[in-house]
Amino acid sequence: MARITAGVGSSHVPLLGVAVDQGKTQDAYFAPIFGGYEWTRRWEAEQKPDVILLVYNDHASAFDANIIPTFAIGTGERFKPADEGWGPRPVPDVIGHPDLAWHIAQSLILGEFDMTIINEMDVDHGLTVPLSMMFGTPAQWPARVIPLAINVVTYPVPSGNRCWLLGEAIGRAVASFPEDLNVQIWGTGGMSHQLQGSRAGLINAEWDNRFMDSLIGDSDAARRIPHIEYLRETGSEGIEMVMWLIMRGALGARTRLLHRHYHVPCSNTAIGHLVLQPD
Amino acid sequence: MSDPADIHAYLAELEDIPGTRVYTATRARQGYHLNQFAMSLMKPENRAAWKADEASYLDQWAMSTEQKQAVLARDYNRLLDLGGNIYFLAKVFSTDGLSFLQAVSTMSGMSVEDYQAMMNAGGRSPVGLRSIREPR
Repeated sequence: MARITAGVGSSHVPLLGVAVDQGKTQDAYFAPIFGGYEWTRRWEAEQKPDVILLVYNDHASAFDANIIPTFAIGTGERFKPADEGWGPRPVPDVIGHPDLAWHIAQSLILGEFDMTIINEMDVDHGLTVPLSMMFGTPAQWPARVIPLAINVVTYPVPSGNRCWLLGEAIGRAVASFPEDLNVQIWGTGGMSHQLQGSRAGLINAEWDNRFMDSLIGDSDAARRIPHIEYLRETGSEGIEMVMWLIMRGALGARTRLLHRHYHVPCSNTAIGHLVLQPD
Repeated sequence: MSDPADIHAYLAELEDIPGTRVYTATRARQGYHLNQFAMSLMKPENRAAWKADEASYLDQWAMSTEQKQAVLARDYNRLLDLGGNIYFLAKVFSTDGLSFLQAVSTMSGMSVEDYQAMMNAGGRSPVGLRSIREPR
């Protein structure tokens, strides 16, 4: 049977992709950020996951203002890196896992999560930056990837509780897939950041770290954090952290911490990173 | 958690954050054509046409005069007021060759250098910036 063996949380700041693509990861500015991912790169090389369920948000790349899916799953064979206005990132195509993706999509719909199913789409920095952070610069990504794109841009975005419940439903869906697969789920985005207006540049390290604390162990308090708290405490784009709750929900009642990293700043943003195991 | 059925209270709270325009349905409706214009700049041929004649390119879109003027002036705070969303507007400043940090600093009223220094020192504190109604 397929099983979810670990959860990874990570920011997905586009500047990190630029640093990787331009060979700047050891520069003074970036070294403290990438240093916090070295443990994870070694761990991923040992773990050899077959499939990553990668929870991220599209930043006006695959989806324009016309169609706004709240929860979308990529069921295609292959997804190309998006041209976000300065040419596509020079990273490998993302290879999907249509059998598992369709199994999850069907299971979720039967479980009353009415997913949007996407067969063809380009994937932007929200998805490719975490792959670079965890896998470096291989010729091909070492795992298949199922994109789970969440609307965290147009309000109302899904509630924290709904995200947590979706994670639980994803966990059940994976567990009912007959093939023996080592599956990880990654929740990406955040941490505190605001990319607009006179409050731009807001960072709240204390809140971010409390949030990371709350994902470790058996607490489920984070699912009840209302949108307004993310907005007030972590900036208008800090709301991306609800995507970490999908990852956390999929790991079951209790988690164990394997690795943790936090750094300010990267561009306008606080970098957070967690590696968790179901416990 | 606020009562999910109380949409009015939910939406009112979103307007209570200093210096912040949460991208609500009202803004998404107002900014639809502005954001779709910005989205069009993801295609190289459109970027070329835009760079060749910005005003003519804008005239192909059902945008308000105010929106067009704010785009031409690269007045990002005004564009946020007029329904623009930052991830769409990013296509405009990326086409200009600006990074997120450079573009965002222009909205904060700070020079790029001062903004960068603030970020390197740990960013902007939320203290006093959490609520318009009750500063805390």
